[in-house]
Amino acid sequence: MNIIIVGQGKYGMTLTQQLANENHDIVVVDVNSNAVTTAVDTYDVMGICGNGATVDILKEAGAKKAKLLIACTGSDELNILCCTFAKELGTENTVARVRNPDYASQSQFLRENIGINMIVNPEYETANEISRIIRFPSVASLDSFARGKVEIARIVIHSDNPIIGMQLSDIRKKFKSNIIICAVQRGSDVHIPDGNFIIERDDSLSITGTRSALSSFMKQTGVYKHKIKNVMIIGGGRIGFYLSELLCNTGRNVKLIEYDEERCHQLTNELSDVTVICGDGTNQDILEEQDIENQDALVALTGIDEENLIVSLYGEIRNVNKVIAKVDRHSYSILNNIGIETLVSPQLVAGTLVTRYVRALENSADNTHIQTLYKLLDGKIEAAEFIVPPNWAHNEETFRDLNFKPNLIIACIIRGNRIIFPGGDDSIISGDRVIVVTAGRYLKELHDIFKLG
Amino acid sequence: MNRRKIAYDLGVILMTEAALMVLPLIVLVIYKEWRMLPSFIIPVAALIVTGKILAWKKPKRENIYAKEGFMIVSLAWTLMSTFGALPFVISKSIDKGNFIRSFVDAFFETVSGFTTTGSTVLGEIASLPRCILFWRAFTHFIGGMGILVFVIAIMPKAEGSTIHIMRAEVPGPTVGKLVSKIGASARILYAIYSGMTLLMMIMLLAGGMPLFDSITNAFATAGTGGFCCLNNSIEGYYSVAGCNAVYCEWVIGVFMMLFGINFNLYYYLLIKQGKLVLKDEELKWFLGIILGATFIITTDLTFASDIVIDLPDAVRQAFFQVNAFISTTGFSSVNFDLWPTVSKAVLVFLMFVGGCGGSTGGGLKVARVIILIKNSIRSIKKAANPRRVETVRVNGRPVDEDTVTGVLGYFGLFMILGIISFFIVSIDPYTADLTTGSTAVFTCLNNVGPGFNLVGPTENFGEFSILSKLVLSFDMLAGRLELFPMLLLFSKIGSGKKKYL
Repeated sequence: MNIIIVGQGKYGMTLTQQLANENHDIVVVDVNSNAVTTAVDTYDVMGICGNGATVDILKEAGAKKAKLLIACTGSDELNILCCTFAKELGTENTVARVRNPDYASQSQFLRENIGINMIVNPEYETANEISRIIRFPSVASLDSFARGKVEIARIVIHSDNPIIGMQLSDIRKKFKSNIIICAVQRGSDVHIPDGNFIIERDDSLSITGTRSALSSFMKQTGVYKHKIKNVMIIGGGRIGFYLSELLCNTGRNVKLIEYDEERCHQLTNELSDVTVICGDGTNQDILEEQDIENQDALVALTGIDEENLIVSLYGEIRNVNKVIAKVDRHSYSILNNIGIETLVSPQLVAGTLVTRYVRALENSADNTHIQTLYKLLDGKIEAAEFIVPPNWAHNEETFRDLNFKPNLIIACIIRGNRIIFPGGDDSIISGDRVIVVTAGRYLKELHDIFKLG
Repeated sequence: MNRRKIAYDLGVILMTEAALMVLPLIVLVIYKEWRMLPSFIIPVAALIVTGKILAWKKPKRENIYAKEGFMIVSLAWTLMSTFGALPFVISKSIDKGNFIRSFVDAFFETVSGFTTTGSTVLGEIASLPRCILFWRAFTHFIGGMGILVFVIAIMPKAEGSTIHIMRAEVPGPTVGKLVSKIGASARILYAIYSGMTLLMMIMLLAGGMPLFDSITNAFATAGTGGFCCLNNSIEGYYSVAGCNAVYCEWVIGVFMMLFGINFNLYYYLLIKQGKLVLKDEELKWFLGIILGATFIITTDLTFASDIVIDLPDAVRQAFFQVNAFISTTGFSSVNFDLWPTVSKAVLVFLMFVGGCGGSTGGGLKVARVIILIKNSIRSIKKAANPRRVETVRVNGRPVDEDTVTGVLGYFGLFMILGIISFFIVSIDPYTADLTTGSTAVFTCLNNVGPGFNLVGPTENFGEFSILSKLVLSFDMLAGRLELFPMLLLFSKIGSGKKKYL
């Protein structure tokens, strides 16, 4: 697919990386020639140096024939202008990054009257993701499939977990719960486990199941965490603002610590139910003074990664129930091993959202059957939801007879209202929704799950 | 430094060369030159074994940076020339008595082929076996667009960092991709290249040139090389029966010019962006220089006292020779060494200018010459008015100051390398005079082929000493790969320290 990405900041670069990995034809545009050179040197893309909101540059980038233009410069106005121009030139779909709450709130108008197909607000999406995790705190991260019926949750195995040293087949027998462990991250490696796989300490498991099945499994294994009532947020930037609003609306007590006094006043004006504290939230004394001990959750959202990590580590030590840290430099592989359970990166959140949109576009063009697509564990694992086509040839065959490719697992089958977490006796029937989890392979259609020949 | 990836890529390139050597084997079968079988079977076997060993393990890390790109390109070209020399040695086509002397000569010949220089050590060419002649011309075709670009073209999916390899191999001050995917860009370039070669072959055939000669001459022109299967180059076709030599001379002359033009422009034509082609400043300069040089030489030849020539002949010979030099092909349709000094001076100037960036031609490249000239003018203005600020513009767009500095650095390095080589070559007893020595060095550094006096169109490089041949081989490789890769390789081996890299 021909994609133009305007703006090569942190977001643009992450997007370029994710989309280049999926083998699209990408043209990147930026006013800064260094940024363009870096993109061209690192990924297989073409670069153009110039202002992406000028017709000449857009023409040069091929906006007339492009399938998609993504505008993610730092300026909302420029992004909207760029999308409008591109649409006028003939680009089929446009995506704009719009961060200012004033504009973001009129996304419907932008979609319907201006013709921008998708508005991405990375800060809002990040806040949304964090609020979902806070609503279901037992897990490190959570994605839902099939309109929320099935969840994929990621949990981290700590040293006191009873399932350490157990084989997967035994786990299913012992806990009698209807769940499937579909991916395991160990250090920086990712495995798709089979029945003989043995769980070790510090593994990070991706588990599918219904919300209730997951809850009961977590209670049995002791990873369950109590509901979160009191949340402390460090940093009153855009994400902090959105998150406070989201959490307040669901009736939680939010304490927001912000350094800048003027910003504090602004925040109190807009968020009436939030306790806004003016002070340095990265200072240990202030954290103690603000009663970190009695908080259920600590969310570190300052603009500096290092401070977020240090505050989070302190929170873990002070036994705060749920600790979440924001990191911008998500590419460092050591981040998985430093002992913070949940890391959220706005770039990855927004990137995944756009990638999913691109996939959907591609699918509508190719007429295949991927419904939703999730990237888990830094994109190393993919979970794709398919609808089984009517001409499916394997209706009668059970899983025992089918010859699946390695490193692939059928995480869940949804048949009407029934949700099946399959074993060897189950089979796939036309009309089912199937969730397939794979490592390092990109499925285009459901037939790709079988070995060739 | 990602050594494993370098080794792996080199392995793949050597195996690709083995596959390419199958073509002369086919020629061998057609002409039933069975005696030559070992000359190709042994190198093919050696290439496959070495390639397999180098590419034994897939590298763990795929990412490479500029320095790995330079290392891969310079090592690949040196290794390819080493193996490519084997057919000449084994077939005893190049035989100087002892193995080392023959091998150095064959190495020189192969380097000259791959770098599309066209300087030869052979005096007697026409009587060589057909398969050897084919291989000799085919090295031009491989080297013209670059073997690594070929490998990129046939690879299913390129890593993003492959651009470093392409950048190190494709001539010109800056490299732009045609389309987003580097693999697709390389395929488009090769398609244009092969298509034009095929067209030229057909046009030569139409002029009555024998099939084998049409193919080899098309290869030699496409790569802007200059190896011909006759002893006195294109002039020789005037004595081949049934061949319309005047027509062929015009065809070759025009195609030499076409292969000296930036290939991106042909792509613009293909996607119907003709406007961009007409606007291209480098093309205007290139055509302007050709026109001017042809005019000067024609006038000079017509009025020269010791040459009797008609105007049409003068125009044809001038046009042919001008294109042979500016595209750095190095064919000759007449013994231009006998021309008056003004004409020869023009040819020497053209030798330095070379083709456009992104073409198969060598030399400094027209784009660099434009920047050099404009920058010099700017310096003069700045000397008169030191506070003046001005940017160098090409195609109406300001040129990055880094690019200008890069061009100046390139030119400086080019001259230093040329002067050092000239000094070493002067030690050689064969270098009888300054013209021979200097034109030998600069014809190699610019990948042209012939020089003047003892390295003129009717002479050859066979009598130089081993040292001179190695220096000239290095110059040819350095000139083809735009200096830096070869110098980097040399500095790495020479210093043994890693701190510069």
